[in-house]
Parts: sequence; C-alpha cells; structure tokens
Amino acid sequence: MKKVMGAALGILTAIGGFVDIGDLVTNAVVGSRFGLSLAWVVAVGVVGICLFASMAGRVAAVSGRATFEIVRERLGPRVAGANVVASFAITLLTLTAEIGGIALALHLASSVEPRLWIPVAGLAVWLVLWRVKFEVMENVAGLMGLLLVGFAVALFLLGPDWGELLRQAVPPSPPGTEHAATYWYYAVALFGAAMTPYEVFFFSSGAVEERWTAKDLATNRINVLIGFPLGGLLSLSIAACAAVVLLPAGIEVSALSQIVLPVAQAGGPLLLAVVIVGIVAATFGAALETALSSGYSVAQYLGWSWGKFRRPAHAARFHVTMILAVLLGVGILMTSVDPVMVTEMSVVFSAVALPLTYVPILVVANDPQYMGRYVNGRFVNALGTVYLVIVVAAALAAVPLMIATGAGS
Amino acid sequence: MTRERIVDARLHLLSRQVLDADGEPVRAVDDLELTGPDGQEARPGEAVRVGAILVGPSLFTRLFGGAVLASRLPRIAWSDVAHVGTAIELSVRSDELDADWVELWLRDHLVGRIPGGRHDPEADG
Repeated sequence: MKKVMGAALGILTAIGGFVDIGDLVTNAVVGSRFGLSLAWVVAVGVVGICLFASMAGRVAAVSGRATFEIVRERLGPRVAGANVVASFAITLLTLTAEIGGIALALHLASSVEPRLWIPVAGLAVWLVLWRVKFEVMENVAGLMGLLLVGFAVALFLLGPDWGELLRQAVPPSPPGTEHAATYWYYAVALFGAAMTPYEVFFFSSGAVEERWTAKDLATNRINVLIGFPLGGLLSLSIAACAAVVLLPAGIEVSALSQIVLPVAQAGGPLLLAVVIVGIVAATFGAALETALSSGYSVAQYLGWSWGKFRRPAHAARFHVTMILAVLLGVGILMTSVDPVMVTEMSVVFSAVALPLTYVPILVVANDPQYMGRYVNGRFVNALGTVYLVIVVAAALAAVPLMIATGAGS
Repeated sequence: MTRERIVDARLHLLSRQVLDADGEPVRAVDDLELTGPDGQEARPGEAVRVGAILVGPSLFTRLFGGAVLASRLPRIAWSDVAHVGTAIELSVRSDELDADWVELWLRDHLVGRIPGGRHDPEADG
C-alpha cells in the first residue's frame, strides 16, 4: 500500500498537469473537430513529459537542487530571468484558468453563478496552500481526480465503433473539412498542454518537499511511469468521447457543459456527478500545482527559502508570492474573462517557453558534479536530444501558427 | 578539503544557491565583491580575492546597469563560507545575516501574523 501511495506525487502531477482544465478543453475541442487524428500528439507528449520529469526528479533527488535553481545556475541571471518572467506569466494564466475551471464545475453542479464561486475557489486554494500538509494535499487531490476515469467508462457505455476510432488515429487522418494549418496549430497546443513546464517545476520541487534522495530513484520512476501515462489515457478518453458524440453532431466545444455532454448521454446523472467531482478535484489539484509552481519558480530563481514543508513564517517571501498569484488570478477572473479562452492562450504560450526549461535539465542531468554516478545513460540522452528538436520546433511554430489560423478558428 | 581544485567563479559561484548553517536557503549568489589581498580595495595589476557574496540589488544592476552605493549592498562575508559544492554552504545561521532582512521583515510583520503562519506543517493536524 505504501508503494502505491508513494506514486501519489506522480498521480497528482499528472492529474493536475495533464488533465487540468487546459487538457479537458483542448482534448474535447480537438476530439469534436478532428476525431482521434491527433491522438499521436498525446502519445508523443506523454513520452516527452515522462522523459524530462523523470530527469528533473532524478536531479532533485540526487543533488537536492530543484529545476529553477538549475535553470538559473546554467543559463545565468539574464536568460533565466527572462524564463522566470515568462514561466510566471504562463503559470499565472494557467492558475487563473484553473480557478475559473473550479468555479465553472461548481456552477455545473449547483447552478449558482460562477462569478460567486470564484472568490470561494480562490480562498479554498489558498487555505490548502497555507495549512494542509503536502502529502495529504497530493493524496486527496490525486485520488479524487481519478474519478475522471468516468470519461473512459462513458466511452465504453457509448459502445463506439472501435475500428472507426482506430482508423482516425493510425495513420492520422484529419477530416477533410479542416485546414492543415489548423490541424498543426492544435497539434502544438496539445503538445504544449502535455509538456507544460510547470509540471516539471512542480514535480522536481515536490521531490525536494518529500525529501527524496538517491534511494528514492525507484519511486521517481514509478511515479513518472504510472502518473503520466494514466493522464494520457484520461486525455485520450476525453477526446474519444468528444469524437464519438460531438463530432458527428457537429457540436464545437466552447463551454465546460459541452465537454461533459457525452458522459451525461452515456451514463446518466450518476456518472455525470462522478465526473463533475473528478473535474473539481483535477482543476483544484491543478490550481494548487500552478500556485505552488509560481512560488517555486520565483523563489528558486532568487534563492529564497521555499516549500510547504517549512512553517509559512520560515518561507515568508514564497508564501507572499503565492498569495499575490492567487489574488491576481481571482482579480483577472472577476473581469468576467472567459476561462476557456484563457486556457487556450496559456497552453500555446507554454509551447513557446518549453526549450528554456528543458535544455538546462538535460545539461545538468549529464553533469557529474551534480549527479555523480547517476548521470544520464546513452539512451536517455539520445531520446532527450530528439525531444529537444521537437520542443524547439513546436516553440518556433507556435506563434506563427496562432497568427495564421486566428487561434484555430 | 585540502585537495586543491579549480573553482571557476562564473560556473561554480555565480547564481549558485546559498544555504545557511542549518541548510536553509538564504539567497542565490547575485554578484561577487573582489578585494585586495589585505582586505583593502582591489587595485588594477595586483592580486585580488573574493571578499564577499553580494545579494539583492546587485542582481538588478547586473541585469539593467546602473549602480547602487557599495556600502548599501547586502553582503555575506566570504569568511562565513564553509563549503563550495552544488550549493554554497555558510557556517552561520540566516537570522544572523543582515542580507536576509526582507525575509525577516515579512516574517515578523506579515506572514507570521496571519493565523497559522507559525504552524509546523510536518506536525500532525
């Protein structure tokens, strides 16, 4: 049982990072427009995030240094400073989207206006950050988020034509109605949603919070290999549900209520309730993860003391940063901006910022002064290099594609 | 630590994490202050040594130019450094350092005053 609970960090990172509001929206949008023809991107993203999260986790466990300390140490204050500003902005956008997501999900469950739920959600997020123990936080949010498995159940209940779904996925065959640039724009968005840098900040800092050492490298591997593929499967089932129900009906997803439509159709109110609880837990977990990551990245760049394992008074600047981030997020939402739109923006901009985070991790994972005998093996380095090429290509293509396609419209 | 090793200031000192005697993070190394061998001002053409680690405002002057009065810069004396590894470890505790005043101010005036601010999360409850 302890081994299983030991995977909680990976599950929360994956549930919160992979199946956050960004993925719920992006996968459902993609499923309803392209069927499963972008499923390969999710697979590529899962392998990539497994690779780099396990590398960052290994660096943190062996050297005790979390990702942003390494980013600054290798890139110097100027480039790392640009990265911290960009990462903070993206993480803040994501946090905003997640708090909005909690409010929307609570709105679905209660039909109380989302704007009334926003401050409640923000306050709840802060209270957990302030008071709840790291392990308790990750177990509760991670395990409740698993209720999203309801999407997979719904898929089976819908009894789709599996052969047809497979034909959409391999070889990838986008519907003729969509333009190639739009297809690639969503490919980059999905890739960005899968590999968002805050997942790596959170995972490596979480390893420090849980005081991992070289002895915990097996735990690191289990976490990564269970958590992220699970997140990938949940993402795919969300996309598949949309492909089965929404694509033939010609419904384009623009609200959370449409994402859960297939679930309601297949499993009735009971399954819908389960999935809504799952969505609240997953977006709540993601809100915690992004709020913490905003604190982690700034604190590690400037060298402040940080971490939930310390008394808040002993990581004062870290906690002040997180309070400001949550307040800013709530403030942005109160202008009644659409959280779904904020999400789509944040996902594309994460694709732009990816190389600045993943290059230093790969470099330090090869530095024997940090890693001793735990440096990268040849296979990991070869795969890492291939992924760097993909990551740089996605980063360069993101903004031009966004402009060319009018953000996918 | 009698074995000699080459320390590259840019690679091994700048931007490394500084930890105090208890292993608590203090700041990252934002800049280094060089002094003459006798602790006097460094002079061109003469040997210099690292006198102190500078933190805080010197990061901004390094990034954006400009200058801060040298006497105003928060510094950690090099004599307080115990070990240079993947982090710089000090032989003193952070609350004895003037360099950490922002953290201490926020602790005493803001975060420590919010209910639960001094609660130990590792304790049960």
